[in-house]
Amino acid sequence: MKIMWLLSLFFLVAVISLVGCSSEGESDGSGEGGDGNGTTEITYYSFSAAPNYEDVLADIVTAFEEENPNIKVNTELAAYDDYFTKLQTRLAGGNAPDVFELNYENFVQYASKGTLADLSGFIEEDEDFDPSQLNQEAFEAYQYEGKQYGMVESFSNVLTFYNKDLFDEAGVDYPTADWTWEDELAAAEKITNEENNVWGTYAPATMNEYFKIAAQNGGQLFNENGEPTVDTQENLEAMNYMVDKVTESGVTPSPAEMSGQAPADLFMNGQLGIVHTGIWMFDAFKDASFEWDVALEAGNTQKAHHFFANGLAVSADTDKKEAAYKFARFMSASDQVAELRVENSWDLPAVNNDEVLQPYLEQTPPENREAVFNALDTLVLPPVVKNWSQINDVTNQEFEKALNGSKSTEEVIKTLQSEYENILN
Amino acid sequence: MAMENSSKALVYQNIKSKKSKKRRPIINKILFYLLLIGGASIMLIPFLWMVSTSLKPDGATMVLPPKFVPNEPTTQNYERVTQQFPMMRFLWNSIVVAVLTTIGQMIFSSMAAYAFARMQFRGRDKLFLLYLATMMVPTQVTMIPQFILIKQFGWLDSYPGLIIPTMFAVFGTFLMRQAMLGIPRELEEAAFMDGANHFQVFYRVCLPLIKPMLAALGIFTFMQSWNNFLWPLIVISNQELATLPLGLSLLQGRWATDWGLMMAGVVISVLPILIVYLFAQKYFIQGMTMSGMKE
Amino acid sequence: MVGMTRKKTFIWLCIFLLPNLLGFLTFIGAPIVSSLIISFTDWDLLGEMQFTGFENYIRLAQDPDFWVSFRNTIFFILGYIPLVLIFGLACALLLNKQMKFRAFFRATFFLPVITSWVAVSLVWKWLYNPEYGLINYALSIIGVDGPQWLSDPNTAMIGIILASAWKDIGFVMVLFLGGLQNISPSFYEAASIDGAGNARKLWNITIPLLAPTTFFVTIISLINSFQVFDQVMIMTGGGPGGSTEVMVQNIYNHAFRYFEMGYASAMSWVLFLVIFLFTWIQMKVQDREVN
Repeated sequence: MKIMWLLSLFFLVAVISLVGCSSEGESDGSGEGGDGNGTTEITYYSFSAAPNYEDVLADIVTAFEEENPNIKVNTELAAYDDYFTKLQTRLAGGNAPDVFELNYENFVQYASKGTLADLSGFIEEDEDFDPSQLNQEAFEAYQYEGKQYGMVESFSNVLTFYNKDLFDEAGVDYPTADWTWEDELAAAEKITNEENNVWGTYAPATMNEYFKIAAQNGGQLFNENGEPTVDTQENLEAMNYMVDKVTESGVTPSPAEMSGQAPADLFMNGQLGIVHTGIWMFDAFKDASFEWDVALEAGNTQKAHHFFANGLAVSADTDKKEAAYKFARFMSASDQVAELRVENSWDLPAVNNDEVLQPYLEQTPPENREAVFNALDTLVLPPVVKNWSQINDVTNQEFEKALNGSKSTEEVIKTLQSEYENILN
Repeated sequence: MAMENSSKALVYQNIKSKKSKKRRPIINKILFYLLLIGGASIMLIPFLWMVSTSLKPDGATMVLPPKFVPNEPTTQNYERVTQQFPMMRFLWNSIVVAVLTTIGQMIFSSMAAYAFARMQFRGRDKLFLLYLATMMVPTQVTMIPQFILIKQFGWLDSYPGLIIPTMFAVFGTFLMRQAMLGIPRELEEAAFMDGANHFQVFYRVCLPLIKPMLAALGIFTFMQSWNNFLWPLIVISNQELATLPLGLSLLQGRWATDWGLMMAGVVISVLPILIVYLFAQKYFIQGMTMSGMKE
Repeated sequence: MVGMTRKKTFIWLCIFLLPNLLGFLTFIGAPIVSSLIISFTDWDLLGEMQFTGFENYIRLAQDPDFWVSFRNTIFFILGYIPLVLIFGLACALLLNKQMKFRAFFRATFFLPVITSWVAVSLVWKWLYNPEYGLINYALSIIGVDGPQWLSDPNTAMIGIILASAWKDIGFVMVLFLGGLQNISPSFYEAASIDGAGNARKLWNITIPLLAPTTFFVTIISLINSFQVFDQVMIMTGGGPGGSTEVMVQNIYNHAFRYFEMGYASAMSWVLFLVIFLFTWIQMKVQDREVN
């Protein structure tokens, strides 16, 4: 039992020294606002840099600090799944990072709660920056009630990824820019081979997919005033199209058949003819053991493509707004950053400079990289409504019921309409 | 006196039980080992999959049915995971935090447990019920007030912020109290008769007797602290102070995760727990009465 | 003399209890009280708090999702608790015997506890796969048409229960092993002299003398299983169709995804009351058994 004494003693000493250290740390940290040399230290909190782009971000920060010797940037990373839990805790605790990343879907929530600083003033005064340097749709996405609350850094969209080998085996023509739902279904049916666990096509049956498919059929889940308008013929057809692929024609694997594998895994295993997924997968599919390419998405009555964006916002609470803005602008509009992004295939920078984007187009696979830009002509933004996450969850849950046959799509549509009304009341 | 008698009885009993074991029919023995091996393999499968995935090269690691033997085993995932992150730094932080939390938890909770189990005071059982009750509120809603508290203390981004709030987990007090409840009153009374004070009774009578449970508490606290993710996530901003689970979480991509890499990280992080377990395990094998007598 | 000892006892009490009590009140008690206060507000984490009285609790009573998750959680507990208790005790008894490679077997049975849920869930999803999973294959041998497991709303929760019980048996086993060491072998010796068989010994000695450990294991499993969350997120995410959505998942969603910390806190306090009630009943039963 002597060991218990020793442990206790050790423990006591350790705790005292730790507490001592941390209070010292505190006094060091008090100079954070700006020390004698007039250096401003800011914290940048990011999700998109992990897990593969930490080094790129470090290079970007170095470049920024060279350009702005009086600003020092500390980066803080989290995985996307954990990012918002921490951000909210820090915002709630009055300890927000000075500048942080927000994707478009979450941007509105944060802007509407007054947590973001209005950057319009800084942009007006900024001689080095003109909004025309950026893709306009992407830039304007970060406006809320006419004010600029964020700087877009990158964007992405969703395309039809197809396995050329499977298309060749089934003797089907590759997808073209004017493919329709019917064309895709016909091709998928030929490719599907139940014995070998090969399926024709996959797209998730979720809210994120639904608002786009509805748009491809001329439908709209919410009207301009943000009121739910799900219960329409167009939207029902769109839902039937999504659900029937699993329950009727079987060209899409059911959740049971997937058993926890991600669609990207199935595609990489050569078990999917087509997968509808984002251009962020280019890198992951690079080493596929088969030939693949991308095409525009099939439409029904019209074309519609997803649009996702990441941007940087400045905390409303920070007293280092100007430094934070400078960094946000650098991440967003600097050609140097854009080049680094393209070089390392870290998303698609939102800049308009063709010269910078040229190398992006030249990389293969896929051959048909222009599709990424062509898709922008027919983009559809996620509906901007309060409580987006809740609406999202309810919809996904109802889709699961439609997929396992416990509810008809007609019933699901009716439920969704009333649930949306409830949530938005 | 009573103690010595029972220890003699024990020695006698031990000898006798060994003899009786020999008489057990061989069939029973075979069945027994078959049952054990069957159970053990059911327990092993996911762990083996974890290890084998960590040895698989890039590409399709998620295939159904899963492959348990990698075609070309490689340690590249381990190399990458140690290169990509300051793995040693994370390991060190995790060790500091887990070891200090465990020691603190063992000391404070066994002391409080002594008060709850072996001392009489007004409102004792009500106070204990209050302790228990606090385990029933999910951390998801107490986390933010706790965060604000730690911020007031100036402990954000520091070891004390990670260690001290988790040291008083009720689990430990509860476990130690239950263990101490089982101690026969005569042992304690005999010690008081000999003029021992409360501390001596606690230290020389109670603690040795509950060693197996103390060891169990040690494992669980270590494991809890080692795997704790949510609290370090919100308290730590400086990567220099990040613990292993924080580092590992960064391997997870928003759209896709490299499972081989992830599992390599998980295997590295699980090994220390296994070592602690193997170390503490000998205390469950050791009988209580024997060790109790020696001290 | 008596006064002296009382004073002394009080000082000893302070020495033993106070360090823990102070830490407990500060780091556990205070945040919990705050969450109770928050449950009477409309706090959205980002804006100002406003007191709304019992509004959150009234809304809760009428929230069908909450009651669905409540029912699912109870279902989980009813399946999970008996499984871990019985198998945990069985493993502890089995591994408490003399045998070759005992340390190895004990370590093996503990492995699931330290295996990551991600790995566990993938292997179990494969076991559950209706087409080429091992479980349905085994069932087909004895002529049973296996269910769809995780993709069928009727069996998904059973799937989660089995996997969770499998993972936690080692945890319960270690606690029971610790408890078994505390039983003096002299009891068994006395029983042997009386000619008691193994079953009698188990029933008359082991189980009664394990009572403090059993009580601990039951309460802890109860509290933990009321707060079941991680494995559900990893295995089904609450699906299919909300059939495995549990209470803490609901609480997490409202707190961190829907910006309704006030409402989430109210949910937590209702959850608290339910667990407290169960624990209290358990304690009363325990008291009666002891007397």
